[in-house]
Amino acid sequence: MIVRLLAAAAAALALAGPAAACAHPKTSLAYLEGQIMCPTCHTTLDQSDAPAAQQIKAEIAKRIGQCWSAQQIESELVGNFGQGILAAPPHKGFDLLAWWLPIGGVVLGALVLAGGVWRWSRTREPDQPESGLDEDTERKLDELLARLD
Amino acid sequence: MTRTLKLTGQILALAAVGGLLGLLVWRLTHQSHPPKIGGPAPNFSLRRIDGTGKLDLASLRGKPVVLNFWASWCVPCKGEATLLEQAWRQYKGSGVVFVGVDYHDVASDARTFLAHHGITYPTVQDGSGMIGDRYGLTGVPETYFIDRRGRLVGTHIVGTITNQVAAFHDGIQAALHQ
Repeated sequence: MIVRLLAAAAAALALAGPAAACAHPKTSLAYLEGQIMCPTCHTTLDQSDAPAAQQIKAEIAKRIGQCWSAQQIESELVGNFGQGILAAPPHKGFDLLAWWLPIGGVVLGALVLAGGVWRWSRTREPDQPESGLDEDTERKLDELLARLD
Repeated sequence: MTRTLKLTGQILALAAVGGLLGLLVWRLTHQSHPPKIGGPAPNFSLRRIDGTGKLDLASLRGKPVVLNFWASWCVPCKGEATLLEQAWRQYKGSGVVFVGVDYHDVASDARTFLAHHGITYPTVQDGSGMIGDRYGLTGVPETYFIDRRGRLVGTHIVGTITNQVAAFHDGIQAALHQ
C-alpha cells in the first residue's frame, strides 16, 4: 500500500513539474534581448556577454518561464534599473518627443525645401534677349521705326 | 508677404540654433565630474535592499562611513564580501558605518548575495547606476571613505580590498581621525 502511494506521489510530481512551467510563453528571450540594454556596456543584451547582461538574460528567461508578458518583464526591469534599461523610449508622455521630433524635423525640412523650390521657380524670369541699347536710344529707335511704318 | 515669410523663417532658424547652443551649454555645465579627495562626498537617498525605506547619506553626517560599491554578478565582490563583514564587526564599535551600494543589479539576486555572505550592514540599491556615476565609478568593486564632516578621505580603493587590505584599513583610519 505504501509503495503504491509513493509511486502515485512520484507520478503526480513528475506530471506537476512540466505543468508548472509555462506551456505557451508570451514572449521570447531573443525578442527581449533586442529591447533591453546591458547597463554596464551600453549595448543591447543580444550584443553583450558581460556578467551584468548574463544576469539580466537569466532573469528574463526565468520570467518567460513563469509566463510573464514582455510588458511585465520590461516593467520589472524598469523598476529595478530605471528607464535607461530600455533600448527605446516608451511611446507615452514626454518620451513621445523622442519618436515625433525626428519625424517632425524631416517633415519641416521637406516643407522648407519645397517652399524654397517653389519661390525659386516663381522668381526666375525667362531669359530675354538683350538689345544692348540704353532706354533713350531704344525709344528713339522705336519712334524712327514707327515713322518708317 | 514674402518679406514677412522670410523674416519668420530667419527668426525660426535663429531660435533653432539658439536652442541647440543652449543645450550644448547645459550639457557642458551639468557634466558630472568625479569627486575629489577632500571634497564633499556626493549625497544620495536610495532604497534599502536589505530592508524597507530609504537611506540618506546625509543622515550619517557625524559618523565615518565606508562606502562599498558592489554587484551580485561581480566575481571579485564575492571574494571581498566576508572581509567587509568582518571589518564592519571590527569597526562598528568605533562608530564607523559601512554602507553597501548595489550597482546595476537585479534586486532579488542582490538579496540572495547578501544572505549567502551574511552581510549585516545597510545596503542600498543603485539600479540605474546614477550614484555610481556621480562618484566616477570605473567598475565594481570600489570602496570610498568618508569622514565625519561628509568629505571623501584617504585613497579610494579600485578593485577588491582582499589584496589591498592595508590601504583599506588606512582608509578607515583616515575617516576616523580626520
